Amino acid sequence: MVERTLNRLAALSAGHPWLVIGLTVVATLGFAFQLPGITTDTDPKHMLPVTSPVRQYNDRVEKDFDLHADVIALGIVNRRGIVNRETLSRIAELTREIQKIPGVITHDVVSFSTLDDVTAQGSELAVRPVLDRIPQSGEELEAFRKALFGNPLFLNRIVSSDGTATAIYVPIEPAANGKEIAAKIRKILPQDRGDDQYHLAGDPVARDTFGAEMFRQMGLFSPIAGMVMGMALWLMFRSVPLIVANMAVAMVSIIWAMGLLIGLGYPVHIMSSMSPVFLMAIATDSVHIFNEFAFRFGEVRDKRRAVLDAMAAVGRPVFYSDMTTAVGFASLATATIVPVKIFGLVVGFGTLVILLMSFTLVPAILMLLREGRIPKVARGLERDDASRRSGLPRLGTLCVRHARAIAVVGGALLVVAIAGLFRIQVNNNMVHWFKPGSDVRTADRIMNERLGGTSTAYLVIDSPAQDAMKDPAMLRDIEGLQRELENDPRVGKTFSVVDYVKRINRVLHDDNPAFDRIPDSAEEVGQYLFLFGASAKPTDLDNVVDYPFQKANVLLQLKSWDAGVMADVIRRTEAYLAAHPLPGGATVRPAGIAYFNLVWSDEVLWGMLRSFLAGLVLVLVLLVAQTRSLLWGILTFLPLLFTIALIYGVVGLVGKDFDMPVAVLSTLSLGMAIDFAIHFVARFQQRYQEEPRLQEALVWTVARPGKGIFLNAILFSLGFAVMIFADLTPYMTVGVLMAVIMLLSALASVIYLPGLIHLFHPVLLKGDAR
Amino acid sequence: MSRLGSTAFALALAGISTQGQDLPTATEIVEKSQRAFYYPGADMKAKVTMELITEAGKKRTRVLTMLRNNDPKSKNQKYFLYFHEPGDVRRTAFLVWKYPEKDDDRWIFIPAVNMVRRVAASDSRSSFVGSDFSYEDVSGRDLAADTHTLLREERLGEVECYVVQSVPKAATDYTKKLAWIDKTTFLPRREEYYDLQNELARLFTADKIDDVAAGEGDAKKTYPTVTRRTMKKVKSGHRTEVSFDNVAYDVGLDDDVFAERALQNPPQKWIR
Repeated sequence: MVERTLNRLAALSAGHPWLVIGLTVVATLGFAFQLPGITTDTDPKHMLPVTSPVRQYNDRVEKDFDLHADVIALGIVNRRGIVNRETLSRIAELTREIQKIPGVITHDVVSFSTLDDVTAQGSELAVRPVLDRIPQSGEELEAFRKALFGNPLFLNRIVSSDGTATAIYVPIEPAANGKEIAAKIRKILPQDRGDDQYHLAGDPVARDTFGAEMFRQMGLFSPIAGMVMGMALWLMFRSVPLIVANMAVAMVSIIWAMGLLIGLGYPVHIMSSMSPVFLMAIATDSVHIFNEFAFRFGEVRDKRRAVLDAMAAVGRPVFYSDMTTAVGFASLATATIVPVKIFGLVVGFGTLVILLMSFTLVPAILMLLREGRIPKVARGLERDDASRRSGLPRLGTLCVRHARAIAVVGGALLVVAIAGLFRIQVNNNMVHWFKPGSDVRTADRIMNERLGGTSTAYLVIDSPAQDAMKDPAMLRDIEGLQRELENDPRVGKTFSVVDYVKRINRVLHDDNPAFDRIPDSAEEVGQYLFLFGASAKPTDLDNVVDYPFQKANVLLQLKSWDAGVMADVIRRTEAYLAAHPLPGGATVRPAGIAYFNLVWSDEVLWGMLRSFLAGLVLVLVLLVAQTRSLLWGILTFLPLLFTIALIYGVVGLVGKDFDMPVAVLSTLSLGMAIDFAIHFVARFQQRYQEEPRLQEALVWTVARPGKGIFLNAILFSLGFAVMIFADLTPYMTVGVLMAVIMLLSALASVIYLPGLIHLFHPVLLKGDAR
Repeated sequence: MSRLGSTAFALALAGISTQGQDLPTATEIVEKSQRAFYYPGADMKAKVTMELITEAGKKRTRVLTMLRNNDPKSKNQKYFLYFHEPGDVRRTAFLVWKYPEKDDDRWIFIPAVNMVRRVAASDSRSSFVGSDFSYEDVSGRDLAADTHTLLREERLGEVECYVVQSVPKAATDYTKKLAWIDKTTFLPRREEYYDLQNELARLFTADKIDDVAAGEGDAKKTYPTVTRRTMKKVKSGHRTEVSFDNVAYDVGLDDDVFAERALQNPPQKWIR
């Protein structure tokens, strides 16, 4: 029924080519008008929906403790040590200049010259920035060094233990662009810098650099992918109109899909920025129509009949392969990660547009081909075919003859793949989305080697009672938790209200180390904190305790963006709490960017697994519907399963992180890699019904539709392979894996299906043989 | 700078007496304003309630008794601050000897450990007991530390004001201050502090002004006094609201009240 409608649509379009083209252009212009409104969003926190409890809790923690979500870290490294007059005056000057940059939260910039130090100077208690004025003499430098290393709060936070590195922490307004502010900071870095080296790191720099790179990806790689595919099409068909038709389908679907996304007000995320390349690749499905049209025209020499015959022959597989692709993508909509969901829907919609164009625009353009030029197409193909005549049919014969051997090899590969699947490591690390030599990654590595760490987490201790954080028993447990967490070498720094209390206690008692401990009475703690709050910057205290002293915040610096580090922090925390229950039934809850990464990393795994299984089932259902047989459905399904198992087995074996781009690919490849098997099985069944000679039909299918399959796979792979030259690793990953998946599934379909059909024909063809 | 300060003070005094009817200079206006705001009476006593309020509406309350004494011969002042609330810091006390021409002397008494400590007068721009006011906002800034310019005269609500711009001569945490100074009382009605980005960072408003009689009993002289004031950090939304209650001038506070040993045994008569 669907087929009849589609064929009628194709016939109608063939009858009124100019009308179809005109309508398409008008609709496309409508979508194109939405494109200039494009915005991007690369904040990893937005991976989770606004309503997610993790995100809401995080917002509250930031409010409760006056914390800033986005902090740029400027690392300053001097191999001879940063405690020298020149470096220190550069730090003071730089801090002041950074404070002037619009978008920087001026009063909360942390550096030597702004961070309060609590010291005892003789009998005097002093609270002032550690770098109050630039030390001039050797003695003053020595005193500064003593002050710097004498305060444990500074160690690994603003000074490395070997004294070669420091950092300026620059919080920025939520609406500010981290990359632009980073660029401004770079501009004001001193020209005359001696041995000082500067490194910019931190989440806002990474993700806004990412955002800028995304535009480059869309603006540069999509057209290049298009050109590469166009060139490949030229080599295959030697016909400009055919290339134009293919590109037109791709462009129309890209403009409609992106126009819809932008028009609905959604920002473009890392995943959806890849939509154009995906749609361009999916649009190559129309190659099957051109391929068949060229063959048919060579046979019948009548343009209109060739178009209608070709559509009738490939219409069904084109429809089902596009539908499975659309379903594969749409199954991403079941994911909880917002950008993935949107990406799935956008490409799903684009695929339906391609489907529509295949039955309207494509026949219309084919009708407009000048008769004089078509024979060339066909001849071009025939010549091409002749040169490889011995190739594909021989391959077909081989596959049928050695079916058993091939099945055994496949089985062995599958066993290896499954072994690899068990070694897959789930991990998301945003910094690893940059290449090892990139500025972002170098800065991150150097700062993590020397200082406490560029990734931040919070552990919020919440008590039912006010003033609970003045209770010495509570403070002792918090201190114990900090020491326990610091046993993990990847936890580079922890600090909490406890550190301030101990510091004040010691300083008040003439810097006597015996008083470097939590006092015994809540009254003492309360008065020390009051004293501290009355002398230091208010935010110092606000960052670690809330107003009613009911909640405390333990700040953690982690040396790695790997999700696993945070998972271990939580495990350690839980184990500690089991052994040391907090007074008054207080609870601990994690927050911060490191925790975010962990949560959505888990979401990626389980969400994608769910989508993947949902996709598998949907695709299987579609296959059964298309072949009208459970067995045939499953058979068509096998090359896909084989391809996916092999790819992810290799991912596991080589130890590549199973991160968001890889996870999303698993679902994507589902809908796309199935296409070849659909074409193969559909065309074989057609042929076998016309002439029920098994071996001959199989060899024919490998030779003729098999050629379309290989052309399609090569086009596809070329389009994606371009992304190898991207600057960001997710694009490279997607490019390489997608190209390999397409080639592999083409091979699996063309090599395994004939063998399997041959092996199981007694069961498979039982009904058809009537 | 300190010597400059007293010179400017002397010059300003001279200016007032000689120039008579002419429009006062910006420095004269600021000088008069400081006298009206920070120096009225020979001494002063008040119960001060400070509410530190976050943008989300969370509050911390501090209640203290403030005693002040002026040195009749200079611009020096002494402050005694005794905390009643929050409860766990009751009896905590600060003593500040303020000298415009040099760093202040400050002491704190911590009752839980029965300890008096000298506190370094670090940055006078630092927060006063964790509020949005700085020490300088509470006790005044050296007149000569800024370049003062009279921008215009304008009406702020019902009040005729001078608008004076004060730009710090040495780098500090703000780049300029605009003050709306009442033409009759010379009290600041509104002050705007601009940060390094030249954006409005802090806003001071005098919310309530009362005439307070000097001395006890027969009231011959009254001092207009800002009894409610707010300092708001514009960018974070955090603000501090302060009210002065039971304000009294010329009550006869003697120097013993402001001695270091008074911290441990505060003068019960005055702090209640």
